Amino acid sequence: MPALEHVLVVNAVLFAIGAMGVLTRRNAVLILLSVELMLNAVSLNMVAFAVYGHIDFGNITGIVFAFFIIVIAAAEVALALGIVVRTFRNRATANVDEVNLLKW
Amino acid sequence: MDLEYQLIVPEFVLATLATLVVAGALIFRGRVRQEFWGYATAGALLILAILTAVFYWDTNDDFANVLAVDHFTVLFRVFFLGIAFFTVLAAIQFAGDRLKNHGEFYGLILFATLGMMLLGAARELLTAYLALELLSFSFYILVGFNKLNPFSNEGSLKYMLLGAFSSALMLYGISLIYGVTGSTTYSAIDPDGSGIRSIAGQLANFTGVGGDSSLPDPDAVRPGLLIGLILITAGLGFKVSAVPFHQWTPDAYQGAPLPITAFLSAGGKAAAFAFFLRLYSEAFLPVAAEWAWFVAILAAVTMITGNLMALQQTNLKRLMAYSSISQVGYLLVGIVALNAETIGQSQDAAAALVLHLIGYVATNIAVFTAIIAFYNRTGRDDIVDVRGLAERQPFLAFVLAAGLFSLAGMPLFAGFATKFIVFQVAFSNGFLWLGAIGVTASFVSLYYYLMVIKQMYLYEPEGTDRARFRVPRPMALAIALLVAGVFFLGLYPTPLFDVINESTAGLFQQAIETSASAVR
Repeated sequence: MPALEHVLVVNAVLFAIGAMGVLTRRNAVLILLSVELMLNAVSLNMVAFAVYGHIDFGNITGIVFAFFIIVIAAAEVALALGIVVRTFRNRATANVDEVNLLKW
Repeated sequence: MDLEYQLIVPEFVLATLATLVVAGALIFRGRVRQEFWGYATAGALLILAILTAVFYWDTNDDFANVLAVDHFTVLFRVFFLGIAFFTVLAAIQFAGDRLKNHGEFYGLILFATLGMMLLGAARELLTAYLALELLSFSFYILVGFNKLNPFSNEGSLKYMLLGAFSSALMLYGISLIYGVTGSTTYSAIDPDGSGIRSIAGQLANFTGVGGDSSLPDPDAVRPGLLIGLILITAGLGFKVSAVPFHQWTPDAYQGAPLPITAFLSAGGKAAAFAFFLRLYSEAFLPVAAEWAWFVAILAAVTMITGNLMALQQTNLKRLMAYSSISQVGYLLVGIVALNAETIGQSQDAAAALVLHLIGYVATNIAVFTAIIAFYNRTGRDDIVDVRGLAERQPFLAFVLAAGLFSLAGMPLFAGFATKFIVFQVAFSNGFLWLGAIGVTASFVSLYYYLMVIKQMYLYEPEGTDRARFRVPRPMALAIALLVAGVFFLGLYPTPLFDVINESTAGLFQQAIETSASAVR
């Protein structure tokens, strides 16, 4: 089994890739995908902390937390895609650079 | 484990009410007048607020260690129900004229209120996160509720994308805090020491206040702790719209239907600050020195940038957005001042923060209700459009002027008394520079508030529509009540301050106990 540090590094890299995606992508759907990557990194982090340490004290909060993150992420995507579709119907674009009626 | 469900009856009632409003509007579509749902919701909220205050004030308990039902919770429950009540009352005519699907509209407002109440009560991070998402999801939909309006879509899209991003940041911070402390419970006081470990207890051990040898080396976990704190603060910064995480605020405020802008600026902020305050005073107080410096920078930048950006606005909603950002800066000063030498001083900071929050929210709702009444008649929301309002509707002009003066912090109004107490606490807790920036920023803010007042009082009405108009009676009554509250708070804040002092004292119970055990 890999050490906790290795798992944490993988999660941190995953999180950073997601954050970079949010900051550089211009398509709303791809930004949402990047947010999902970040949430997955968080879930893995929670599970890793629980499995590698806290579970010895009967503490499974991290694992429960991961389940809730999965549910919330699914709800978030459903809601977000609705809003993106609505914008697309009115403006015919899902590119966040072109959605620029509101400024400063 | 015994679950004492009677403690969270108001939440159950509110959830039921929200479902009933959504379902009822669907079932009785076309058979009941649309306004009925607004008045029914407002009436139910008022009754619930009064009953909650009467029946729960003396409770000091918690629900399964995840929801505290203490004075602080009850104060904020009543506060959020009141905010929702005034929002719904202000929204009825607006919704009738300009929105469809009233059942969903009021239902979502109620769900958002439920999220706020849970967020103010949560003393466990998973619960707090779920409540925060309930609140945010309701707001994403409400901001985009005017679904054929591209401005509404755009505000909703930006708010939702940045909100999801900030939630992910905060969650990563939570996972690190969980990893370091092994707990997501703020401060479960556990007499026999068997069950739940708490963040506050663990952090007190790291800083050497308590004493538990089974914990890892404090230096080894310090980076994790620090990054966790920074990420949680950044996530919360997005939610309260502190600079540099504020970009969504003006867009969401301008795009949203006006009553939702009011609700977002009052309820959304208040809920996020209730969470902020409870988390940082119950859980993170032992490591206050670690986070105070970056929250202080956040507060300073927020006060400066919020006020400077407000100077160049031409739209009333955007002006109010930047004004609310600068108010967040003053509120953050209260959070920073939690880092004090004695726990008594931290308590003062918490009380000052809540007092300013209540004063700000009452003023903001009064201002927004007046703007909504104006918008119902004219359909315009630029600053130049209020030109000559003192001629056309003196009452609204007076209310707007009083509200804006209060936000600027003029004596006689709530804004002065509450801001004064916040800065006083900052000074006495050793943050002189922060208080100085705050006072200077308040002076700057007077300029852009006066711009609006100048338009109303110094110019004649322009354009084709110059006639006087009437404000509907329920709205006028709500506005008059709020303005009376603003004056009362400004002239005699003591009664409310005593109530707040009593409420915030409970947040520091754990800190007092750990420091007492350390002395022993």
